[in-house]
Amino acid sequence: MVKENILEVKNLTKTFGSGHTLVKAVDDVSFDVKRGEVILIMGPSGSGKTTLLTTIGALLTPTSGSIKILDKEITKEKVSKLARFRLKFIGFIFQTFNLLESLSALENVEVVLGIAKVKPSLQKEKAIKLLENLGLKDRLNYLPKELSGGEKQRVSIARALALDPQVILADEPTANLDSKSGHHVMEILRKIAKEKNKTVIIVSHDQRIMDIADRVLWLEDGRIKEGAVGFVEDPVCQMKIEKEKAPFKSTFGGKEFYFCSKKCKETFDTNKES
Amino acid sequence: MVSIARKNLFKEKTRLIISVSGVAFAVFLIIVIQGLYNGWKERITSYIKNIDASIWVGQAGSSDMFHSTSIIPITLKENLEKISGVKEVNRFLGRQIAFDLKGKKVNTYIVGFDTEKNIAGPVKVAEGKKVPQEGEIIIDRVFTKNKNLKIGDVIKIGDKEFKVVGISEGGNMVIFQFSFISQKEAEPLFQMKGLTNYFLVKTDGDVGKIASNIKEKIPTVEARTKDEFIDENQKLVRETFLPIIYVLTIIALIIGISIIGLTIYTATIEKLQEFGVLKAIGASNFQIYRVIFSQALISGILGYFVGVIFSLFAVRIIEYLVPMFVVSIRAKDILIIFGIAVLMSIFASYIPVRRITKIDPARVFRA
Repeated sequence: MVKENILEVKNLTKTFGSGHTLVKAVDDVSFDVKRGEVILIMGPSGSGKTTLLTTIGALLTPTSGSIKILDKEITKEKVSKLARFRLKFIGFIFQTFNLLESLSALENVEVVLGIAKVKPSLQKEKAIKLLENLGLKDRLNYLPKELSGGEKQRVSIARALALDPQVILADEPTANLDSKSGHHVMEILRKIAKEKNKTVIIVSHDQRIMDIADRVLWLEDGRIKEGAVGFVEDPVCQMKIEKEKAPFKSTFGGKEFYFCSKKCKETFDTNKES
Repeated sequence: MVSIARKNLFKEKTRLIISVSGVAFAVFLIIVIQGLYNGWKERITSYIKNIDASIWVGQAGSSDMFHSTSIIPITLKENLEKISGVKEVNRFLGRQIAFDLKGKKVNTYIVGFDTEKNIAGPVKVAEGKKVPQEGEIIIDRVFTKNKNLKIGDVIKIGDKEFKVVGISEGGNMVIFQFSFISQKEAEPLFQMKGLTNYFLVKTDGDVGKIASNIKEKIPTVEARTKDEFIDENQKLVRETFLPIIYVLTIIALIIGISIIGLTIYTATIEKLQEFGVLKAIGASNFQIYRVIFSQALISGILGYFVGVIFSLFAVRIIEYLVPMFVVSIRAKDILIIFGIAVLMSIFASYIPVRRITKIDPARVFRA
């Protein structure tokens, strides 16, 4: 069975400034994403990843091109209607979690339900269920400052899922997490995509999370670079690094190995002697 | 959404205290000024209200009792009595007099109490004799407190000595108080033989018409109904104090609005990222404005209640420490001030709301 397209991006361009200062942050980008698919958008800093995600999330108006979410063309919608659209169809997960500091974990999730005018009696029940499913049963009344990074991100995920949106957009969701928490968060996101049939689009620098994605889009200078994602694994730290840009290389037994850092290479060279 | 406002406010307790104190101070200022105005307005006429007369007849061109002199010949009494509807005419002698007391110049408004007919006496005698005889004086409680006097003390007015025999209430005019001696003694003291300050007229029929008749038939006098005379006496307070009250109320409002406005604005600026998040996840501008307005309203209402409670206590203390100050706080004023506190909150929300309108929700993606 062919899965339906949830997101269709066609010839999307977003520029900032004008004249000499004109910058093309996203340049003629086209791609589709299906229901239940996990897409990872990667690329160097300044490549336009976040601008692309923000535009897909109906937070920035594109300069040209079209974005269809669930067959609805969002680029022509009024700003006031887009707020409602985001609320209903898109869940956001942020690098810095962006939880409301004065509210507890539970209240942070309830807020979204409140904005959507869900019956107050149902708000609490639903928020508790979401947080419990994400392993935060004991943290319901904790303030964000009392939670670990991984816990904060799980609250952020619960908040994104509160209104059961079709599309989840995550901006660098593991950037502020240790590798264990980061991996856990990514597993949750994949599970959401596969079990709940949601479309998850992740922007990240973190090559360790590549394995959870169904597809990786490599963005460079605002354009998708086809076939650029030639990644190899650092044999010491297991980090996935772009083969062409790997800073250190070593040969052993007629085979080439690539490293993310000098320390990893030295560790490898020391160990290979023994 | 109100919960966000409440939580934001109560999380920053210092800011909340500043905000609430600002409003409380503004409310306190308005209540006390308004109360002083009302108190003065009521007190200045409470004595007149208590006198049994439908019409006050004074010299033509005279205005109120305290700031103009009215002297008319006693012979006019007969003319007045002949006018249709006039039932009884009595003499009123009263004058503000300065005299030396314990080496200091003091002021009191001495009234000649017609002890036989019981006319022009004190509103209430709280202690001592109710009717002064020759060489006796009844003074107001506020006067006794201010001047440290008591029953039995002797005061010298002009060249005559009077023994304090009673303490009255309801005769405090803030800047001076009423004292009462017998009318027989007042006449020589004021050098008013054959003269009077006012005639107190009791009537039978339409008071307004009778007053007009008096003015028509005796052009050398001014005849005012009791209500008109009360209004005339209050006019001075109104005209003198209302502009001051307006200015002070506006200052209080500016203080209140500025303090809530500044604290809410600071809170808004600090939470810009969070408001951006709310916008990004789909909150409408209106929903966010409601958070800001709720914050201002909570501060305003809390400040209002603190201000009212503080005012009620402070007023009692003020009255105890400075007895001449009479503060009359009316329920109606308290309600109006509640409306003012809400208005302060609305105005205070204006600038933060404008700032919120300009938030770009895309900012939340900037780490």
